[in-house]
This record gives sequence, structure tokens and C-alpha cells, in this order.
Amino acid sequence: MSYWALNAIFLAVVAAVALAAIVTRRAPRWASVAVALAVVLLMTAVFDNIMIGVGLVGYDEAKISGAFVGIAPLEDFAYAVAAVILLPSLWALIGGARDRRSPHAARTNNAQTSENAAQTNNAQTSQNTAQTSTPKGTGDA
Amino acid sequence: MGLLYLVALGIALTGMVMLDRRFGLFFWRSARTAAVVLVVGVAFFLVWDLFGIGLGIFFRGETDFMTDLQIAPELPIEEVFFLTLLCYLTMNLYGALELLRARRAERA
Repeated sequence: MSYWALNAIFLAVVAAVALAAIVTRRAPRWASVAVALAVVLLMTAVFDNIMIGVGLVGYDEAKISGAFVGIAPLEDFAYAVAAVILLPSLWALIGGARDRRSPHAARTNNAQTSENAAQTNNAQTSQNTAQTSTPKGTGDA
Repeated sequence: MGLLYLVALGIALTGMVMLDRRFGLFFWRSARTAAVVLVVGVAFFLVWDLFGIGLGIFFRGETDFMTDLQIAPELPIEEVFFLTLLCYLTMNLYGALELLRARRAERA
């Protein structure tokens, strides 16, 4: 089995989790996912090249496509794509949305927190309102 | 036998934890959710690794930068920390972007 065929299976699992998050109306914010994806892909390009360059990992040339970014097989970037889609989807699915007050609570500027939380609520699609508004209203007051 | 890679991963992970604690990005946003996401994420990537190794696609390199400790054939202990770092970095980034977005909304 080629590296791409292996990746296809695991990326399918990632897609299934993302789809589950979407159909249960608990999808992560895709704009944030997209920016995170760009950053993690860039970091993968840098650090994967270093890791391969210093000999941390080797590949069977017969099982990779031969497409490279520097000396990093293009297939390696599937890990970055998977992480950036799978993990925020899991976070949103499990109920990270319910805890969105926490980053605000960690901030020093408490005066604006409730306003902030209210806007976060509005910007969110209305589906999670029932879950998010209750802890926010009490937690940030 | 070398500790360099493991130490580098440890330093990077420490940085992730400090950023998380300072800005409330992942575990300091919801510890329970973060624990599940991190454990599931690392396990998922370890299984991916094990299939890649089992299929002979990739294998541990010959280098002096790693310890000789392996949790499975061709799977160095360092990989567990690397995958933890990948997952932590991803969720810190996502948390930071969500926080920035909320602040922009606040200013608007």
C-alpha cells in the first residue's frame, strides 16, 4: 500500500468526524481552522525538512509519490491537514463550545468580558445557543 | 543514544503549556475537553504511524539525536512527544484564533 493510500484511509476518518460535527450543528469555526491550517502547513514544511535532514525518519522510495516540499514527502503534510480539521472538530463535538467563556475569564479585562461573550454568542450560529448562553451568562456576570 | 530531540520536544511542549496557561487557549479553556481531544488525537496519529511502519512506508532514521527507546518496532518514544506537540500546537493556535476573533468583535 502506498503512503497516499494509507493517508486516504485516515483522512476519511477525519472527514467523517468533521461531518459528524457539521450534521450535529457543532462544527468548529472554519475561518479559524483555515488560518491554523496555513500556519501548521508552513511549520510542517520547515520542521519536517529539518527532521528528515538530520535523519530522524526515513522513507521507502517505492511507496511515496515522489512529490516533495524540499526533502519532505508531500504525503507528510496529511498529518497537518488531519490535525487542524480533526482536533477542532472533536473539541466542538465534545463540548468545547460550552466552555467558550474560559478564554475570556482568563483575561484581565473583565469589564468587557460579558459584552465580548455576548458577541461571541451572536456570531456563533444559533444552534449552540442553548448550551453556550447559560454558562456564559452566569460565569461572566 | 542521544537526548537532543527529546529535550527539544520537551522545551517546545513546555512553551505550549506556558502559552496555554497565559492566554487560556486549550487546557486552561476547558481541561476536560482538552484532555479528551489530546488523548484521542495522539492515539489517532500513533495508529496512523503504526500502519505506516507496518506497511514499510517509513521507519526510524539512523541518527545520534534520538534515544534508543522505542514503544514499538521503528516507533521511537520521541514520536509520542512529537505528536503531542503537533496536537497541542494545533489546539493552541485554534484557541488563539478564536480569542483574537472575539477581541476583534469586541472592538467593532
